[in-house]
Amino acid sequence: MSLAQVWFEQLMNGLVLGSFYALIALGYSMVYGIIKLLNFAHGDIYMWGSFVTLFIFGYASVVVGSGWAAVLLGMITAMIFMGLVAFFIQRFAYRPLFDAPRLSLLITAIGVSMILYNLMMVLTNGEYKFFNSDINVAAGIAIGPFTLTYVKLIMLIITAVLMISLSLFINRTIWGKAMRGIAQDKNTCRLMGINVNKIIGLTFFIGSALAAVAGCMACVYYGSLHYFMGYIMGIKAFTAAVIGGIGSIPGAMLGGILLGLLEAVGTQVIGSAWKDVFAFVILIIMLIFKPTGMMGKTEIERM
Amino acid sequence: MSRKWLFLVIMVLAIGLVAFAGCADKGGSGTTAPPAQTGGNETPAAAPADKDGNGVLKIGVLVPTTGSEATYGQDMINSYQLAADEINDAGGIKAGDVSYTLELYPQDDACDTAQASTAASKIVSGDVDFVVGGYCSGATTPTLTQFYDAGLIFLITAANSTVLGDAVSNDGYDQTFIINASGDKQIETLEYLISDKGFTKMAIIHQGDDFTQNLYNICTQESNAGELGCELVAGEQVMEKGAADVSAIVTSIKQAGTDLVFFCGYYADATNVIKQLRSGGYTGDICVSDGCSDPNLATASGKEGEGVWVLSPPMAEVIENSEEYIAKYAAKFNGATPRAYSTLAYDTIYLLQAGIEAAGTIEYEAVRQALAGIEYQGIEGTISFSEDRHERSISNFLLVQIQSEKLVMVHAM
Repeated sequence: MSLAQVWFEQLMNGLVLGSFYALIALGYSMVYGIIKLLNFAHGDIYMWGSFVTLFIFGYASVVVGSGWAAVLLGMITAMIFMGLVAFFIQRFAYRPLFDAPRLSLLITAIGVSMILYNLMMVLTNGEYKFFNSDINVAAGIAIGPFTLTYVKLIMLIITAVLMISLSLFINRTIWGKAMRGIAQDKNTCRLMGINVNKIIGLTFFIGSALAAVAGCMACVYYGSLHYFMGYIMGIKAFTAAVIGGIGSIPGAMLGGILLGLLEAVGTQVIGSAWKDVFAFVILIIMLIFKPTGMMGKTEIERM
Repeated sequence: MSRKWLFLVIMVLAIGLVAFAGCADKGGSGTTAPPAQTGGNETPAAAPADKDGNGVLKIGVLVPTTGSEATYGQDMINSYQLAADEINDAGGIKAGDVSYTLELYPQDDACDTAQASTAASKIVSGDVDFVVGGYCSGATTPTLTQFYDAGLIFLITAANSTVLGDAVSNDGYDQTFIINASGDKQIETLEYLISDKGFTKMAIIHQGDDFTQNLYNICTQESNAGELGCELVAGEQVMEKGAADVSAIVTSIKQAGTDLVFFCGYYADATNVIKQLRSGGYTGDICVSDGCSDPNLATASGKEGEGVWVLSPPMAEVIENSEEYIAKYAAKFNGATPRAYSTLAYDTIYLLQAGIEAAGTIEYEAVRQALAGIEYQGIEGTISFSEDRHERSISNFLLVQIQSEKLVMVHAM
């Protein structure tokens, strides 16, 4: 392999990994922006999305074969199901605490996270589950001297489509406007006649649907699922959200992609044992110079 | 003021009481110096009684029953139980004039160092007479001291890092016996594969723990001594246990022109690596270490697993009376199939019986010496131990390959 081919492939690896981080980081940022909660249960939403996809895939493949069609059905079901789960979580676990000290809300989020992964541990008996399909994961297209597998290409396209849709939604629709408004001043929005609770519910729904898409991609791309996989992914995605500027949506996208690229470059340059050290040292340096993250806004408190 | 004093006095009394009770509880489980004397057992005259004094030998079992290796741990317990029940039905172990029945006392080490130490403590304070077990080398190593200090003979069934042999020879834990052939024998099997198939460039991925780091170190030593048979490329690639994304490692491996990837680790991560190697476009061969040898590996890796080499301990499917063994295991455990270390575990209990019967007593030093010099014919091979390291003298490794989602034996060392 020529050096150019290696770098192209590492870049693609980084972008795909970055898409995972970005999709999950979006959920963190959206929720933080709107109710100032760091939803630690979000990584476990991703993990559950994976398992739901696996589950639905098993049934769907009987009807439509073990290919992309069954994966798509799994993904859509996972998106809707996890969105609803997140809606119920915020309705019953978070909403009663909206006006409580932020620490209480944080602890509740940690509690929800523990419930989610322990529930999955019981359901799967703590075992690894594997995803096997008829999809040819090694097939790809050639762009000059470079090859890109179809799986990676599809994942990048799906992520791009989702991110563009989300941006359009936030910036061009009335609900997006409501979300931005609530992020600025919740109580004034109430006075303006916006149904704040409904919009917050919608935020959770969308954020978790995106995490579920990442979960579905994990099934196809990695092929092995475990009840604890949400933990590491959640922490890294959260870090990515902070780097991009917590509360900022373009920031979450940027932060996720950046972290993915840093890990891939780190492995190429220094070696896999050091990749996390490499990535996080750079992140710390970035935060020292820009504490609010790349696209974060400093909060102005009006007394 | 007096309220505070009262509180203080009560606290001190309470703490004192708890500490005293805790100490008194220890009972006869040899908290004293290493057993140069006649082991932690009582009555030097007559036949030494077992710790509970009721003619039942309590066997401590240290295996993972939770976590990613839980299925292996449970399989080992099943296999120990199978052997123990057979022995009990045949009248028990005869040490001189006394017969003892066997009873298992399993504790979970969860393949984790801290939990293993806790489990070992529980075994020690549980008045056991002998200890068997040991699956993850990293978790097993720290328990050696605990069992040595308690005067308990420890038969290690599956764990086989050469670090264990080092502990026996360097630190003097001569009551420990390693039944599974050790890491260096495993690398001999790998070298056979390399020379047989003519591989030229091997890349190693390991997980940084005692067991896998040990295999990597042995390979490096062999390579430096010119004995490996091929070139080591792509540097030292480490993948954390449970890590999801290894795509960057895959690219580095391809870049180095590798034709054989040697993955050291356990089977769940192995499946992950195999899938990502293939989806990343790697077309060379893959070999996985023992610890990955499991029928699950073949089914879980699906079509990507075709042709993968496995360095395997003697699986039940390939021993001499395999059908008989598999049938009686299935009959006892609801149709379950024995896993890779089942035969080793089964032999462990019978080896213990052989050692006790050769010594004619369950007394610590006699059994220890009997085991050190023993040559026992088990169902998976001849078991004897090297003098200073108490490692298995003859390799019992098999070269196995995944063919059509099944494990097929290719060569026995």
